[in-house]
Amino acid sequence: MKKLISSVGVAALILSGSSFVATSAHAADPVCVTANGAETCNGTLDNGAAYKTVVPTNFNGTFFFWQHGFRSSYPYPGYTPPKGVEELTPYSNNTGKDVTKDMLTTGYGLAAYDCSSTGLHGWNTADCVEMLKNLITVTKAKYKVAHTVVYGSSMAGSILTPFIEKYPTLADSVGIMAGVTPPLTNELRAGCDMFYIFSVFFDPTIKGCAVMGTKGIPGHYAVLGDFAKVGALLTAWSKNLGAPELEYPAALKGSGIPQRSALLLAGLIAGLPTKSAHMDGISTSALIPEQSINATVAILENTQELLGTAYFAGQSISELVGPGIYDNTKTDYSALLSDADAGRFNLGLSGDNAIAAMLGVLAASPRVTGDPGAIAKAAALDKSSFNTTKPVVLLSNEADRLVLAGNSQLLVNKMQANFDTRLAAWQAKYDVADLSHQLALNKVKPVWNVLAMYALTPETYTKFDATTGAPLLTKDSLSPSGVGHQSFTQNQTMSWVKILAQSAKTGKLPSQKYIDVYLSRDKNFNTDPDFQPNELKYQS
Amino acid sequence: MNVVNLRNPLSRIAVAAALVGSLVVSTLPASAAGDPGVSDSEIVLGMQLPQTGAASPGYNKVDDAMRAYFDYVNSKGGVYGRSIRLEVKDDQYKAGLTITSASSLINQSKVFAFVGSVGTQTHISIIKDINRRGIPDLFVNSGYSGFYTDAKKYPTSFAGLGTYVVESKILGKYLKETYPDKKIGIIYQSDDFGRNAMQGFATSGLTFETGKTSASFIAGTQGSLGLTNQIVQMKANGVDVVIIAAVASATAVAMATAAAAAYKPSKWVVISVGSDATTFQTILGAKGVPAANSAAMLAGTISASHAPAPGDATDEYVAAFKKINTDFNKGPDPRWDNNTLQGMNIAYQTVEALLGAGKNLTRKSLIAYLENSGSKMSSAAFSPLNYSKTNHEAYNGFWIGQYDATTLLAPITGTRVVYTTDSGTGPVTVSNYKRPAIAADALPKVA
Repeated sequence: MKKLISSVGVAALILSGSSFVATSAHAADPVCVTANGAETCNGTLDNGAAYKTVVPTNFNGTFFFWQHGFRSSYPYPGYTPPKGVEELTPYSNNTGKDVTKDMLTTGYGLAAYDCSSTGLHGWNTADCVEMLKNLITVTKAKYKVAHTVVYGSSMAGSILTPFIEKYPTLADSVGIMAGVTPPLTNELRAGCDMFYIFSVFFDPTIKGCAVMGTKGIPGHYAVLGDFAKVGALLTAWSKNLGAPELEYPAALKGSGIPQRSALLLAGLIAGLPTKSAHMDGISTSALIPEQSINATVAILENTQELLGTAYFAGQSISELVGPGIYDNTKTDYSALLSDADAGRFNLGLSGDNAIAAMLGVLAASPRVTGDPGAIAKAAALDKSSFNTTKPVVLLSNEADRLVLAGNSQLLVNKMQANFDTRLAAWQAKYDVADLSHQLALNKVKPVWNVLAMYALTPETYTKFDATTGAPLLTKDSLSPSGVGHQSFTQNQTMSWVKILAQSAKTGKLPSQKYIDVYLSRDKNFNTDPDFQPNELKYQS
Repeated sequence: MNVVNLRNPLSRIAVAAALVGSLVVSTLPASAAGDPGVSDSEIVLGMQLPQTGAASPGYNKVDDAMRAYFDYVNSKGGVYGRSIRLEVKDDQYKAGLTITSASSLINQSKVFAFVGSVGTQTHISIIKDINRRGIPDLFVNSGYSGFYTDAKKYPTSFAGLGTYVVESKILGKYLKETYPDKKIGIIYQSDDFGRNAMQGFATSGLTFETGKTSASFIAGTQGSLGLTNQIVQMKANGVDVVIIAAVASATAVAMATAAAAAYKPSKWVVISVGSDATTFQTILGAKGVPAANSAAMLAGTISASHAPAPGDATDEYVAAFKKINTDFNKGPDPRWDNNTLQGMNIAYQTVEALLGAGKNLTRKSLIAYLENSGSKMSSAAFSPLNYSKTNHEAYNGFWIGQYDATTLLAPITGTRVVYTTDSGTGPVTVSNYKRPAIAADALPKVA
C-alpha cells in the first residue's frame, strides 16, 4: 500500500495552480480499522471535509468513488446538514438500502466524502471537483488501484461531467445516477417557472426564485418563508385534490376552472412526470374518475419534493452568483405546453377553453426580470464540453420527480454530437490514408462510449381504497420501479455498478450481450434501444 | 396459409400462371431487408384502439374487420408470399395505455408498421415517437388535420380518414346554402377534433356564439358533464339546426340529453365519425332505449361520408367487403356497419401499399410508395387518397346524406354528389373523381 499524500504534496498541489479552495484545515492520516473482512479508514481531505474508504480483503483492484447529491447548508424541518460521510455507496430513497455489502462482496474498494467547503454544503460543484480529485489522489496513494470508477447521484452530474473533462486520467469510467446534465440552469429554470405559475394562479405573494440570493441564514429563512406558502397549498391539495375553483387571478375567479387544472398545467409546462410514486397516470376509481385526474395527483405528489429542492438548491446557487437567477420576461408558456400534452390531458386541464384562458392569463401576467450576470454565472458553475471519451453510464428513473429523466437524454445528445464530429474527422483521415495508415487508424477509431440505462414503471400500479376510491399512498403501494429520485432496486443499482466496473477495465462499454445480461436481471429495466424519455423543457 | 411447395420451381411457375394479373402472388420474397416485423413468411402490423371502455362502442369492431380482410388475403397466399399478422392492443382510449402499448407493439411484438390506430387524443401521445423511430403509421383513424398537413412534421403518418376540416367545410357550405333562415348551432368536444371541425365550419362561413349557439364539452367525458344546461340554452336561443362534432358515444348522449329536455331541433347534423348507426343504437340500447326509438331519433339526421353507406347493397366494394366480413370476421360483433366497412377498406389499402412497396419490403420503401403513388391507390372511397411528399391527408371528398327510418345513410338529394376541398381555405367544389372498380377477387392490383 502506498502512503497517504504528504502535506508537502498538498502544498505543491496548491502551488501548481489548482483552483482548489484555500482552507485552514489539513489532510491528516486517516484512522483505519480492520474488521469484518475490510479495512475502513476515516480521514479528512485537504480542506477538512470528511472522507471514508472501505477496502475488502478480496479487493480486486477496482475502486469506486461516490459523489453524493445536493445537501442544503442549513437545516429545515426534517433535515439536518450532515457532518460527515453519510453515504458510502448508492442509497435508495425508496428502499432505504444501499449496496455497500454487495459491492464489498464483489471485491470493490469504496470511497466517499462529504462535499462541504468551509463547513457549508450547497451547490459547491466547483469545489467538489477538486475535492473528488483530492480523494482519488489520497486513496491511490494508499491503495494499489488498477481501475477507477467515479460515480454519483443527482447534483453529481454537475460535478462528474466537468471532472472527467478536467482530470481525464483520474478515472476510467463515469457513472451518473439520476444526474443533472450541465448546465444546471435547465432544470432550475423549469422549477422557477413552476413557482411563477403558482404565484399567478394560487398565491400572488409567492416570490419563487425572485426571493433567492440573500446570503447566509437570512437568505435561508427568506426561502423557507416562501416555501411555507407553497407547502400550505400542497397540504390543502393533498386533502381536496385541487377541486376548489381558482381564486386567482381575478380574471379567472368564477371561471369554474378547478385549481387542479392549473396545477396540472404548471407541471406539464415544467416537464414534470405524470407518473409518481403511487400514481400511474392511468388507473381510475370513484374518486379519481379519469386518467387525467390520476396524472394530476401524480404531479401533486411529484411537486412536493421538486419544489422543496428547487428552493434550497436555487438559493444555494443564488448565494454563489447573486440574486436574479431567474428571468421569464421572454418565456412563451403556451409553447411549453406540447400539443401531445394538451390533447392527452385535455380533461384534466378542463378542456381547450380553460387551457386557452389559463395560457392567456400567463401571457398577460407581469414577469420576473432577472440579472443577466447572475444567470450567466449560474450557467457557468458546471460548464462542460461533453467531449470525454471515457465510458459514461447513466442510470435514470423514467419518472424521476426531481432530476428529470430528460437530463440523461440531453447528455446523450450532447455526447453524440461530439462523437459524430470525432468520427467524421477520423473518417476524413481514413479515406485519404494508405493501407498501412488505415491499419493504424483502425486502432484509434472513435467508439461510442455512452450508455443510458432507464428503470421503468410497470404499466399500472396505483391502488385505491376499496370504499372511498382514494389512492393508497403507503409504502406497500409504491411503484416497484421507475419512480422517485435516487431510488433504484438493488438489482438495478448493482447492474449499473457491474457495467461501470467492466467499462473501467477496458476503457470501453461492454458488449451489448454483456449489457443485456444485466438488463435482464430486473424486469423493469428498459430494453428498448430507441427509448427516449420526455425531453427537458429547456435544453441549453 | 400458403400451401404451395415453393421450393419446387415447377410449382412456382404454376402459381404464377394461375395468378397472372394479380400481385398477391405466392412467390418467394427477397430476403427481408432488416426492418423489424418482416420475415420471408410474415409481416407483423400493430394497431391500437379502445376495445373496452366508454369510447369503445363501434370503434372496437374496426380491428376485427381488418383482421378478417388480412385473413382473406392470407388465404390467397399473402403478399409476395408473406402472410399478414395484426397485433392489436386495447388502449381503452387512455393515452397512458396508448404509450405503454405502443412500446409493447414496438419492442415485444416487433411490428413492422402501425396501421389503423383509432383516436385523436390517444394517437397524439405517441405520434412523435413513432415518427422519430421511422415506423410507418398507416391510415390513422383520426381526421385531425394536424397529423397530416405537414409531412415534414410527421413523415411516417398517413391518414385513414378525411380531415375534420374538409368534412366541416363541405357540410358547412351545404348547411349555409340549405338553411339560410335557420339558426344553426353546434355541440362539439373541446379538443383537436372539435377545434378542427370549428375551423372547417368557420372557413365555410358558419360561426357560432358561445352560450347561445354553441355548446362544448370536454373530450373524454363523452358529453356526460355540463351539457344539459348548454343544450337548454341552445333551445332557449332558438337554435333549429344542431351540428354535433363529437365521437359516436357523445352523439348518443347529446341527442338523448336534448330529448330529455324536450328539445327538438328541426335538423341534427353529425360529423361522420360520430354518426355510425349501430354504434348509436348500441349505446342507447345500453341505456334502455329500444332500437325502434333510437332509429327514430336518428332518422332525418344529416351526415357525410367519404365512402359508400354500409347499407348500400348496390355498391361493389360494399358487396365484396361484406362477403369477406361474413366469411372471415371472427370478432365478437361482426355485424356489418360503418366501422367494419372502414376496417375492411383500411386493410385493403394496407395490402395495396405493401404490394406497391415491392418484394424488398422496407419501412422506407413503404413510405416512399405511399408518397409517390398513394394518390393512385384504389379504395372504397369516392375520392382519392391525397398523399404526396408534402401532404399525408387521405380523402378530400365527402358526400352528404340523411339517415332514413331504417338507419341507412342515403344521398340527401337522391343522387350521390361528392364534394371536394382542402384543409385550408380552398373552395368546396363538386368532385369529378371516378372511383376504380374493385377486382372480382377483392384484392388490390398494383401496376
